Amino acid sequence: MTDDLTICPRCAFKTIDKLATSPVPGVWDVLQCRQCLYTWRTIEPARRTQRDAYPEQFKLTVADIENAIEVPAVPPLRNVG
Amino acid sequence: MAHDDLRSFLDTLEKEGQLLRITEEVLPEPDLAAAANATGRIGENAPALYFDNVKGFTDARIAMNVHGSWANHALALGLPRNTPVKEQVEAFAARWDAFPVAPERREDAPWRQNSQEGAEVDLFSMLPLFRLNDGDGGFYLDKAAVVSRDPEDPENFGKQNVGTYRIQVIGSNRLAFQPVPMHDIAQHLRKAEEKGEDLPIAITLGNDPVITIVAGMPMAYDQSEYEMAGALRGAPAPIATAPLTGFDVPWGSEVVLEGVIESRKRQIEGPFGEFTGHYSGGRRMPVIRVDRVSYRTDPVFESLYLGMPWTEVDYLVGPNTCVPLLKQLRAEYPEVQAVNAMYTHGLMVIISTAKRYGGFAKAVGMRAMTTPHGLGYVSQVILVDEDVDPFNLPQVLWAMSAKVNPKDDVVIIPNLSVLELAPAAQPAGITSKMIIDATTPVAPDVRGNFSTPAKDLPETKEWTAKLQQLIAGRQ
Repeated sequence: MTDDLTICPRCAFKTIDKLATSPVPGVWDVLQCRQCLYTWRTIEPARRTQRDAYPEQFKLTVADIENAIEVPAVPPLRNVG
Repeated sequence: MAHDDLRSFLDTLEKEGQLLRITEEVLPEPDLAAAANATGRIGENAPALYFDNVKGFTDARIAMNVHGSWANHALALGLPRNTPVKEQVEAFAARWDAFPVAPERREDAPWRQNSQEGAEVDLFSMLPLFRLNDGDGGFYLDKAAVVSRDPEDPENFGKQNVGTYRIQVIGSNRLAFQPVPMHDIAQHLRKAEEKGEDLPIAITLGNDPVITIVAGMPMAYDQSEYEMAGALRGAPAPIATAPLTGFDVPWGSEVVLEGVIESRKRQIEGPFGEFTGHYSGGRRMPVIRVDRVSYRTDPVFESLYLGMPWTEVDYLVGPNTCVPLLKQLRAEYPEVQAVNAMYTHGLMVIISTAKRYGGFAKAVGMRAMTTPHGLGYVSQVILVDEDVDPFNLPQVLWAMSAKVNPKDDVVIIPNLSVLELAPAAQPAGITSKMIIDATTPVAPDVRGNFSTPAKDLPETKEWTAKLQQLIAGRQ
């Protein structure tokens, strides 16, 4: 799904998936950014759902995502047999 | 009496006045987390919380703060609800000596009632998932018992690990999770990834209260958490065979997820408000594909709020961190009297010890840093004399104020290992470590003027017990 429901509050990516919808129809959806995997419910406060209200210290850039350290690091392949 | 599942423990909590049912409609965010956060701010005997009226859900059942007070921790161990903390730790340490107690295998696990498999797996359809802290990257499973086996020794029951790790839900059947290198499951994963193989995994949600305690406990690599659960319960731990992986999982779980950690893959995960009182991440973490879900009819979803201490996680991992360190230190140094490792899962530890000779207490402090748990956690150690109660912080601060000559009694060792989550580490995973020796110097370390200490009167112990009885009888 690539509809323009919103942009990612965290990284501003424009491709958003719908992961779930409320069992009571029409109350909320759970959305997810395809780039940074940030996940939010549509009825959460603006500080978690709106790009302009999202706290600066939690925003991510493409470089942040690509350069994030691996925990744990992928080990070298070992010849077996 | 030992509890075989979460539901029977919730019944006990309710009977003991330690379960609060919230019947009004609440928002999934921020209400659920805020309420659990508040339990840590209303006193140390706060109740567990139970929610079943959450906006937008039709049949959510959510339990929080189940271990989040000293009263609840005592009841989890089958002790009276008003057992003092020091006595809870002592009872825990005494039961440890019964280890190992073989588990009891049962075939009628209630989580066999329902299942989803393959493409039909949809975690959102089954669990009322929600966010905890503002900056969290998503919705988390943060109170699961995660079961994995050593790929090079899969039949070894002791090396089968049961641990608690943070797990982010990143898809209807996909999870990201955090095994820091010091954790047993990271060893399992490394062995599988070195061979280019996926690592099978079982994740159990809503467990009996002692399984949760042992899953968060820093035990030795080849010690079985199930055999320790039996020792702590005073009865064999009931286990069952998970249908897809064949792993041993708790009989009484509400939900069992099975799948694999996909080999050599990392994906962005986090941040997550952690037990350190700080967010950690986002980092590139391993990912899990869930291939099968088994669950009880009307499952109870158990979650845990953590953030700036104290929160539920501090009650949960406080005593269970003290006891392994106490046992491991005492194995070589029987002079060790008590260990308080209740602050941030043992990043700081207070040890009371007798001294064999001058310099001995500092050696005990160094040993604490080289225990299996210490390698990843213990970054500050305070040593106090044998007559100082390390759980009594005014006594500890008295010892520091009166006994420490900083030039001689503070030792800093650079560039040692610590888990990546430690906020003060630089770079992540590396820190200096500090010993503060607040014990009285003994020969041949002859320093200071400690020859005339004031001691408690001989009759004080008796009067302490008498006063406690009188106060308890008044309630």
